[in-house]
Amino acid sequence: MSDSKYFATTKKGEIHEFKEDLRSLDRSKKKEAVKKVIAAMTVGKDVSMLFPDVVNCMQTDDLELKKLVYLYLINYAKTQPDLAIMGVNTFVKDSQDPNPLIRALAVRTMGCIRVDKITEYLCDPLQRCLKDDDPYVRKTAAVCVAKLYDINSELVEDRGFLDILKDLLADSNPMVVANAVAALSEIHEVSGKDVFQITSNSLFKLLRALNECTEWGQVFILDSLAAYQAKDSKDAESIVERVSPRLQHANCAVVLSAVKVIMKQLDLIQDDALVRQLQKKMAPPLVTLLSAEPEIQYVALRNINLIVQKAPQILSHEVKVFFCKYNDPIYVKMEKLEIMIRLASDKNIDQVLLEFKEYATEVDVDFVRRAVRAIGRCAVSIEKAAERCINVLLELIQTKVNYVVQEAIIVIKDIFRRYPNRYESIIATLCENLDTLDEPEAKASMIWIIGEYAERIDNADELLEQFLETFPEETALVQLQLVTAAVKLFLKKPTEKPQQMIQLVLTYATQETDNPDLRDRAYIYWRLLSTDPDAAKEVVLAEKPVIMDNTTSLEPSLLTLLLGQLGNLASVYHKPPEAFVTRSRMAVQRAEDLAPASFEEEGPISAGASEAMPGPVAGPEVQSHQPDLLGDLLDVGEPTPPAPVAPTPTPPQPTARPPAPPTSNGNLQELLGGLDINAGAPPPAPVAPQQAGQADPFGSPAVRQDQAGGSSLRQLLTADRGKGLSIFGTVARVGGQPVYQLRFQNETAQPLDGFMIQFNKNTFGLAPANQAVNVGVIGPRSSGSASVPLVQNPAMVSPAQAPPTLQVAIRNNQLGVAYFNDSLPLPAILVEDGKIEGSVFVGSWKSLPEANEVTQQLPINIGSLESVRARLAAANLFVMAHKQVAQTNEEVLYITGKAATVDTPTQLLLEVRYSKAIPGIKAFTKSTRPDLAPFVFEALPALLT
Amino acid sequence: MLSQFFILSPRGDTIILRDYLGNVPKGSSEVLFRKVKFWDGGGQDAPPVFHVDGVNYLYVKDGGVLLCATTRENVSPFVVLELLRRIGGIIKDYCGLLSEDAVRKNFVLVYELLDEVIDYGYPQNSSSEALKELVHNEPTIVKPPKHKASVFSVGKGPTGVIKSVLDTARTDGGRRDEIFVDIVERISCTFNSAGYIHASQIDGAIQVKSYLAGNPAICLALNDTLAIGRRGGAHGHDYSHGGGTSQDAVMLDDCNFHESVSLDRFDTERTLELVPPDGEFAVMNYRSTYDFKPPFRVNVVVEPDRNSSLKALVTIRLKADFLAEKAASGLELSIAFPKEAARMTCEYERETKPSGSQSWDWQERLHRLTWKLKRVQGGSDHALKARVTLDEEYSANFRRGVGPVNCTFAIPMYCASRLQVRYLQILKNDKNYSPYRWVRYVTMSSSYTFRT
Repeated sequence: MSDSKYFATTKKGEIHEFKEDLRSLDRSKKKEAVKKVIAAMTVGKDVSMLFPDVVNCMQTDDLELKKLVYLYLINYAKTQPDLAIMGVNTFVKDSQDPNPLIRALAVRTMGCIRVDKITEYLCDPLQRCLKDDDPYVRKTAAVCVAKLYDINSELVEDRGFLDILKDLLADSNPMVVANAVAALSEIHEVSGKDVFQITSNSLFKLLRALNECTEWGQVFILDSLAAYQAKDSKDAESIVERVSPRLQHANCAVVLSAVKVIMKQLDLIQDDALVRQLQKKMAPPLVTLLSAEPEIQYVALRNINLIVQKAPQILSHEVKVFFCKYNDPIYVKMEKLEIMIRLASDKNIDQVLLEFKEYATEVDVDFVRRAVRAIGRCAVSIEKAAERCINVLLELIQTKVNYVVQEAIIVIKDIFRRYPNRYESIIATLCENLDTLDEPEAKASMIWIIGEYAERIDNADELLEQFLETFPEETALVQLQLVTAAVKLFLKKPTEKPQQMIQLVLTYATQETDNPDLRDRAYIYWRLLSTDPDAAKEVVLAEKPVIMDNTTSLEPSLLTLLLGQLGNLASVYHKPPEAFVTRSRMAVQRAEDLAPASFEEEGPISAGASEAMPGPVAGPEVQSHQPDLLGDLLDVGEPTPPAPVAPTPTPPQPTARPPAPPTSNGNLQELLGGLDINAGAPPPAPVAPQQAGQADPFGSPAVRQDQAGGSSLRQLLTADRGKGLSIFGTVARVGGQPVYQLRFQNETAQPLDGFMIQFNKNTFGLAPANQAVNVGVIGPRSSGSASVPLVQNPAMVSPAQAPPTLQVAIRNNQLGVAYFNDSLPLPAILVEDGKIEGSVFVGSWKSLPEANEVTQQLPINIGSLESVRARLAAANLFVMAHKQVAQTNEEVLYITGKAATVDTPTQLLLEVRYSKAIPGIKAFTKSTRPDLAPFVFEALPALLT
Repeated sequence: MLSQFFILSPRGDTIILRDYLGNVPKGSSEVLFRKVKFWDGGGQDAPPVFHVDGVNYLYVKDGGVLLCATTRENVSPFVVLELLRRIGGIIKDYCGLLSEDAVRKNFVLVYELLDEVIDYGYPQNSSSEALKELVHNEPTIVKPPKHKASVFSVGKGPTGVIKSVLDTARTDGGRRDEIFVDIVERISCTFNSAGYIHASQIDGAIQVKSYLAGNPAICLALNDTLAIGRRGGAHGHDYSHGGGTSQDAVMLDDCNFHESVSLDRFDTERTLELVPPDGEFAVMNYRSTYDFKPPFRVNVVVEPDRNSSLKALVTIRLKADFLAEKAASGLELSIAFPKEAARMTCEYERETKPSGSQSWDWQERLHRLTWKLKRVQGGSDHALKARVTLDEEYSANFRRGVGPVNCTFAIPMYCASRLQVRYLQILKNDKNYSPYRWVRYVTMSSSYTFRT
């Protein structure tokens, strides 16, 4: 009988056929049908509609059939919770079956069904099974406690299952002990509570069970022992003594868990001879791990890497076993290389170098490069071997293989830095290979060498000149080196040619480049040279600190942490567990939990959105947002690396912007992308951004909705009113300036051109900076986008109106003039530096007359505080404080922002009172312009919900 | 622990799927398959452990299928990988072999086994023997396709027998009690350009595949002269054996044992006692970096052609340095050539019998010459002469660029470390009980390289 026929392709009436067969009285037919259903389930077909029919087959004494039905139940119970109840009776009955296999099967399966109602019925059978006579049932029940804890931890605690589990640690059957350990460890981790503490009493029991249980049980127990803190050296010794026979186990998981326990106790043992003996004892089993399959080897090597960083002596004699085999997968070779470097010493360096040299002639380019780097790293770390390493590198340069030569030059630069003035004789050989250099890093290295040793190289000026020819096209790395090298050359040989050269370079670097690093460095040199050449010499030609090879070494604190994680995934990634563990459980992974996504979780979306937007963001825009954002992010509690964006002090040049520049919102997102605050955060919930838009699609300021450039601009002019031209647009704030983002959709059959724009007088005196709209010719049935920078003109100011309306006229050569009204979103006119001191806030509030205060009730509910803060900050509104009003449920937010009113900006002061229990908020605002209050209130709903 | 376990076919179809925690999004199998298939843009092997969007993926390849696991936790990758390997082994034990077809034909049995092997993501019981009483399905034995049979016999463990462990429970008279003991050694050897051994290692295992009804205990007696531990006892083990430095001693660096093995008589008599569980397992794994006699020597001579500066002569000589009654099979030499080599023609110095049992192939794209010999008798010599046409004039750079030479082979009934099973005793007090006993040896190349 073969099962593969169940995978046969689907026919039309398949489900119906299944149903028929499932209801069949013929048992074998029934069983066949269930098998077919399981096969369909495996390949991903939805067979949940058969639930009642399958459950009907549950009550049977055919164990094979029962198992199949249970398998089905586990899969589909959560989709049909009401129907799953139908199975409860059978489960409860089975849990009292005379056959221990059936009893165990029943609790095991019930534990896997994550349906509240089933869980309620699980407790009694579980209680019985935990005390069952049969160890198979007990061990199954032990795991079931962990399952139950995950579904309903209170139930476990209320029913005292934890205590029963702890009692099982003393069970006569080692399998039961092992599973009790596993379950307790799991609960310990999930709950974060200290439910599993090994005492000297339980330690003894665990050590005894260790010798008898299955290999997996040994792993569970050893891992729990690794968390045990021995009392003293004696205690540690006795543990190590009991554990060390495990090093001989054929299962590498057992071996490594044993190594972990021993490494941990080693620190406590005072007898140095014993420590050395143990270290020696650990070496052969570690090396033997490398005889296993490549997958195991890889994991072993990543772990060994950590061990040799802490204690290289353990494997110092074994470097040979890390030599690469020609058939090793590349991921194994790379790891071996790393360990060879760590184990290299002046005793074995000849052997190791011979290997590296051989690897440098292999086919895989990445591996070859790493091998060449390895030689350089050995030279840097082993002084006695430096010369031999250099000789090998020179031999490799002779092969003239392009990437070998470049890699060799990069590492020779490091060797020069490490041993200054020792090996300059080889510079001539290097200079022969200038033409082959085409990679930035290699070029930069060569240029550094030329600059550093300019006085020894007769034609240094000619060599540098060669590189300078292509200066504008080079990458920043090369340009920076060229600037420095030219300065060094000039300081060392202040003759005519270098002088010309340096003028050329500095002029270019200060005037032509967009790279602020390059420009700043050039300015510094320039000023240094022009004010005090001697000081320049002292600075530029100063002695450099000695370098070390620690490029791949881990921080000591991280290393210690990772050694504690030996044999875990953390030791493979070389990252702390927090960096990649995202505990999410089915019980908590519901959509509604993800909905109020906090601010930082939106990073990836934003990054994605900003990718979709063409056009880079210039420095100043980013800069202007940065401090506030950082402040806010820090408030949120996210560790934020400083933004790697360097500001350009030149004023923003709106006209130079690409056609569809990012909105102020886009800007923010760009910055977030750059900050990379999202490393390791869970995938984003694409819910929050839409919410704001839905809440008030028209009145809301363009904080959230303009994700993808023009697509979510609102329609200002329909095609029928605009004679075939429809216009979408919104006023947004980009780079500290209001900008009118417009998209024109030409529905006519002719091309349109000559677009111009004009505003009527308005509250803020906004007017287009330029009447011509830079959108070119828009072909028939196509569209074009433009951003019109807006300026404020006192002559254009009209009294305030709410909502502040823009009356806009747009004309083009073909259709003439079209008029429409647009509302002005508040954030568009809020300036970036609107943050004030708390005391200033209080002071201003008090000093403003009562009459200037305006109050309004708004029917909105405040969303999550983090996201509100973020949204406000994006709109240049700043939360000064958040307070709980004493004795009440009320909470208060104090918010401020500065509106760019013509002549003098207006500081807006805002107080929002709300209470979790009562819907709605009460908003108060005060400013020198009470007429703006309605405008502010109108913007609040979108910002606060 | 594990969130999911699944088995993927070579085309990426899910053929078995168990979800334990439900915390990994749908489509995880596709994510894994894509990553494995196109790691780093393809061409590179994906590491067996990697992380995508909060999910850790672990996999092993075996029998053409991918055995995979996902988890969100900081688990022990050793546990997972070893478990995946073990599941592969269990399927082999029960279904005869591991292949897509075998899994598909036995998917109900595989699910039943999985139920016992993993509970809530935690490994439980992975002994084929202990699982026997917990499963109820009958296996469908799948024979490997004919043309692939040889591949399986040289794979991991040469025991080519395709038989389910459930066979021992048969009562219909078709049962056949037998036990296979295979000493499998994989040798790694690197020769330097002068022909001396630069580094060498033997990775060996005593593989047992047992089909003995009633599971009687067995005794495996190894060489008396077996010594374990490094020279001078610097890294000696507790049971390092006296007198281990004599000429005929078998020297091992390290070894480990299956959990069923009792070492009571190992220290004194070098005898392993065990009650072999049904199915295949390694009784002992060992490793030796002590010198051994390499079974093959290769010598490459590169000469300029006197008649043309755009030609070169490369002669590859092979010597089989072992007893004449033994023979290696499937010998393959692969010689790397520098880029200048454009074309070549080769001739054999001596024809092998039957004719056509050796062949050569020039892979121009990879700049590689392969020379295959189906069977090489111990003590014999062979040579291949290649006339190479060059793109550039002959130079010392070309001479240096030829090589290295990599060899793959298998030598049945040959044991590089000279480890021996002196006797295999079945401890059953029944005079009439005499099951079949097979003790076999094989030495295979792991990485056997001649540098030039």
